[in-house]
Amino acid sequence: MTDLIQYLFNGLVAGSIFAIAAVGISLVYSVLRLVNFAAGDFLTLGAFITYYFSVTLELNFVLSILISMLAGMGISWFLELVLWRKLRRNKAGTLALFLVATGVALMLRPVIQYLFGTQVRKFNVDILKTYDFFGARIAHTQLIVLIFATASIITIALFMAKARIGKDMRAYANNPSLAAVSGINVDRVVVATWLISGALGSLAGVFQGLVQGQFNNAMGESLLLSFFAAVVLGTIGDAYGALLGGLLLGLFMELSQLGIFFGGVPSNYKPVVAFAALVLVLLFKPEGIFGYRARKV
Amino acid sequence: MSDKSSNKILLTIENLQGGYGDVQILNGVSIKVPEKSIVTIVGPNGAGKSTILKSIYGIAKVTAGSVTINKDGNIRNVLTSKPHNLSKIGIGYVPQIENIFPALSIEENLEVGYVDYANRKMEDLKSEMFQRYPDLANRAKSRAGTLSGGQRQMLAMARALMSAPDVLLLDEPSAGLAPALVDELFDELVKINQSGVTILMVEQNARRALDISDYGYVLDMGRNRHEGDGRKLADDPEIVGIYLGRK
Repeated sequence: MTDLIQYLFNGLVAGSIFAIAAVGISLVYSVLRLVNFAAGDFLTLGAFITYYFSVTLELNFVLSILISMLAGMGISWFLELVLWRKLRRNKAGTLALFLVATGVALMLRPVIQYLFGTQVRKFNVDILKTYDFFGARIAHTQLIVLIFATASIITIALFMAKARIGKDMRAYANNPSLAAVSGINVDRVVVATWLISGALGSLAGVFQGLVQGQFNNAMGESLLLSFFAAVVLGTIGDAYGALLGGLLLGLFMELSQLGIFFGGVPSNYKPVVAFAALVLVLLFKPEGIFGYRARKV
Repeated sequence: MSDKSSNKILLTIENLQGGYGDVQILNGVSIKVPEKSIVTIVGPNGAGKSTILKSIYGIAKVTAGSVTINKDGNIRNVLTSKPHNLSKIGIGYVPQIENIFPALSIEENLEVGYVDYANRKMEDLKSEMFQRYPDLANRAKSRAGTLSGGQRQMLAMARALMSAPDVLLLDEPSAGLAPALVDELFDELVKINQSGVTILMVEQNARRALDISDYGYVLDMGRNRHEGDGRKLADDPEIVGIYLGRK
């Protein structure tokens, strides 16, 4: 029972971070048909920029997170202006865009390594403080992350559902040719998508760094494939689906360590669990767990 | 039907030429759309009917000619406007296929059709649409992808009307609809027109479309071939024989 509570809680924390990272990837895919393989490195970058401002420069932690989110937005926007926009005008296909994104990832990694080194870093927060919850040990940082990640998820979901630009993004993702002829400003939708993706990448990176307690320059890339599993699980290109897919995948990966699953899957096999879940979903519900099929007329 | 040919000309297409890539489809088409009228373009397959509408939206390439709209007394160049700005100068467009957002709710489909310079409140326009189409109102929160073909066509038009356009461009609105729904659709177009919206449509169902039109154009090989009063065109035996097919 204690184990169950512990893994459930860990799963919620991991899942909420997955959700934030996955929704950014999903939005970029749905709006731009771009499989953003550089998304993981934006997490790493976000964590390091926050580290630089909060630990090296001793700025306020929340302010440092905001700065790193702004930096993530800025870099994403910059890449849109100098790279993605031109590739789209040249009618680059999904595979070409994917390869360029991989190239961006491969270029970001040495830059991050050069700027911040390969040492393990820690945020200036108390990572040892824990609370007892029905016998389960809940870290203070986990609790903080869970609260703020949940608030972020609710904000993103409300934004997608209620804000005009959120609706425009979903409309464009759903039917780009109609969106372009119906008063929706496509360039604005694309820029908004990059800004959101950049901000969420940094935020997820900080959360992940907090929960891990320590991180190095390989943090993001090691998580990338699990994020993609979450995106596919929640139906590719569905923002709400990515949120729920991320949450479920995080829960599932943690709960797989419980004894009832083949005596408990060792924690270093979590990515395997993610992909096993992905394969199962694709086999039995190829449109993703939250997918639907439009009526044929 | 009152004579609207003396109304001021709202939309003017002048010697339009163009096509896709190197393939020229339009070889000089000229069309005048008087305010508050229904104008229909008919003609055989491949005559370039839909290409006219697509060239207005930059989907087809224009090599020569002009398209202008008279917006509150100012003559505006349509071809140099970005597609998302066309609703700003009073043009609404309903493409022939994939003309709704199936993953969005019916209500959201209407909301994304709204533009804030429409001079009307979104809530007013929305309740107007729901009043006009009770089928849509009853299922406002359902995904638009669950609608039937006829309901989708209504939603597509309602979405375009949400920008309070002066002129509505319709690309084969009756395509794929069951015969009973075709009548309903054309009745609806007359009602939309009576509410003050000018309509320029391209139709395969030539006879039915011309019947409700103030003016009609027959296109062939990307050129104007005949034009005249809608009913008269529909009854002209020569035109019926060559272009419209027997009924």
